[in-house]
Amino acid sequence: MSVSRAHERIVTRNNVRVSGSGTQPMLWAHGFGCDQNMWRYVAPAFEVDHKVILFDYVGSGRSDLRSYDAERYSTLEGYAEDILDICHALDLRDVIFVGHSVSGMIGVLAANREPELFDRLVLLGPSPRYVNDLPDYQGGFERPDLEGLLQMMDSNYIGWANFLAPVIVKNADRPELAEELEASFCSTDPIVARRFAEATFFADNRADAAKVTVPSLILQCADDSIAPQSVGEHLHETMKGSTYRLLDVTGHCPQLSHPSATIDAIREYLSRSSSAPKE
Amino acid sequence: MIAHEETAGLIDRLPCGFVSFSDDGTVKAVNTTLIEMLGLESEKVVGHHVETILTVGSRIFYQTHLFPLLRMHGHAEEIFIMLRAADGHDEAALLNAVRRQEGEDWLTYCILIRVRERRKFEEALLRAKKEAEAARETLDAHRKELELANAQLEEQALELELSQHQLNEHATELEVLNQVLQERSAELETQRTIAQDANQAKSAFLAAMSHELRTPLNAIGGYVQLIELGIHGAVTPAQAEALARIARSQRHLLRLINEVLNLAKIEAGTVNYEVRPIVLREIVNSVFPMIEPQVHERGLTSEIDVSPELVALADRDKTEQVLLNLLSNAVKFTNAGGCIRIVSGSTSGPPRQVWLQVEDTGVGIRPDKLAQVFDPFVQVDVRADRRAEGTGLGLAISRDLALGMKGQLSVESVLGQGSEFRLTLPAA
Repeated sequence: MSVSRAHERIVTRNNVRVSGSGTQPMLWAHGFGCDQNMWRYVAPAFEVDHKVILFDYVGSGRSDLRSYDAERYSTLEGYAEDILDICHALDLRDVIFVGHSVSGMIGVLAANREPELFDRLVLLGPSPRYVNDLPDYQGGFERPDLEGLLQMMDSNYIGWANFLAPVIVKNADRPELAEELEASFCSTDPIVARRFAEATFFADNRADAAKVTVPSLILQCADDSIAPQSVGEHLHETMKGSTYRLLDVTGHCPQLSHPSATIDAIREYLSRSSSAPKE
Repeated sequence: MIAHEETAGLIDRLPCGFVSFSDDGTVKAVNTTLIEMLGLESEKVVGHHVETILTVGSRIFYQTHLFPLLRMHGHAEEIFIMLRAADGHDEAALLNAVRRQEGEDWLTYCILIRVRERRKFEEALLRAKKEAEAARETLDAHRKELELANAQLEEQALELELSQHQLNEHATELEVLNQVLQERSAELETQRTIAQDANQAKSAFLAAMSHELRTPLNAIGGYVQLIELGIHGAVTPAQAEALARIARSQRHLLRLINEVLNLAKIEAGTVNYEVRPIVLREIVNSVFPMIEPQVHERGLTSEIDVSPELVALADRDKTEQVLLNLLSNAVKFTNAGGCIRIVSGSTSGPPRQVWLQVEDTGVGIRPDKLAQVFDPFVQVDVRADRRAEGTGLGLAISRDLALGMKGQLSVESVLGQGSEFRLTLPAA
């Protein structure tokens, strides 16, 4: 792979980490609220026969905050561009894309734009729309609920993150303090996080999901208040060439609460269709 | 419930809420403080999902932030969270938690402290901070506006100065122009004086010259007469013819000299005008008989329509001279069968004026020659057989006389149809 300036820029910008001894690339995309660390119990299992690529969206984790563009990242399209930027920078082909939560739809958007880059999509707890669209669609939430979330984020970030910022700077000789702070919440910048929240929870990607041509796996948690079963089933109906797999798991983060079950489910799907010819 | 009996009671009545749950969110234990804080029943919480005690917003927050944090770091401190009470109201709380392995399972232990009062205080602080920032931004904006306005004012002041400069320059230019104009005026005045002096000198010269010319002419006339009378012997018919021609030329020369002298006198300003009220009708009545014989002789008709009420302020003799000149011309230039009319009128002005107009149905004057009719020595004669009588000075003299009486002599004419000459004079 050629090491160009563009390559280096993207790698730094999105805190890209490449590992594994396989050839086919697996690109792991974290969801809202976290960073690439959320894959630490699952991704390493695939390093033997894949090239494992982890990254942080701009504004999350240890990405380069200076590259943050408020307008670009106010919609999910902006995040989809990060995916494509990384694919181009690393010259990836036949990508297996793994996306958790909102990254499911981000992957869908990226695959719709450049389907030739992707081999398969693995969507963990995806939802094309979180807000109810009655009478036909139950996203699970109403606007006031999401306002409540935003209030929570405000109260947990803005309240102390701004005040403490100068402290971080002054204590450059105590790096563990900064690391402690960075680690206490996966996302670092409160305003960025808020915008990501708004982009995620007020999006409607049902039409985009219907356009997907890349074969996909929908991994549905049995008892998930964020992405309930009805949403997963609805998604499976609209996405042609999708496989639906129910995980007997409570919660929204199976890769954290039930890593082995998650690994098995993904591996089973990949082995099953790897020999099938691409349409 | 918790294993150790002694600590169980302690935990149960801690001055904060306590809850423990497994990784999939199933509540293992709650203490009485929490139950009472939220008005819940223990059996509705224990064994159920921890989300039961959270608001919907907090549930999302738990799934997307809190649980990942606990799972990956093993602890969380000072997390703000909203709890849902049984009666539907919300309680703000601060959460500390730790995740530990208990045998096969991993359990998370949380304490929850109500922050109702603290929250009001924090919110007030946050609000104040936001307001201060907003006020600062407004001040900054105002300051920027003022700076901009100031810059504009400075620009305008500069422009004013420039305009002032320009105005001053213009004023200077105007002064220079004024100087120049004054100088020109003086020059023109000088030249006018020179011209006037020259004119007068010319007239004086002419007057002197005509006298010198007249004397020999009289001699010529006298001797011709004597010879015609036969004083110097009989005169043959051929000689008589020749003598007659000499006499005609002599008379013409004499007339020319007289008229030139007249003109010179008028231009030299040595003519006296006796201005008094004169009745126009009377002027016509005394002049018309003088040309009446020629009117009949040439087969012309005449018409007089002059109001007896019109009175001019003018010199009687000069007015008669002008009228005679106009009538002579009218007769001269009208062919047999034509008509001569004398009409009158007045204008209200100011100034108040009266006029006499001599109209003929004669040959008329060409439009391009019209302006020249009053020029000296100009005879505008369109007739094929030019019987050049007159000196060409008549109208020039008449015009000068009219002007001298503060009046005017004007003409209108159509070639082939006739002419109208109007003498205008001040009304009495």
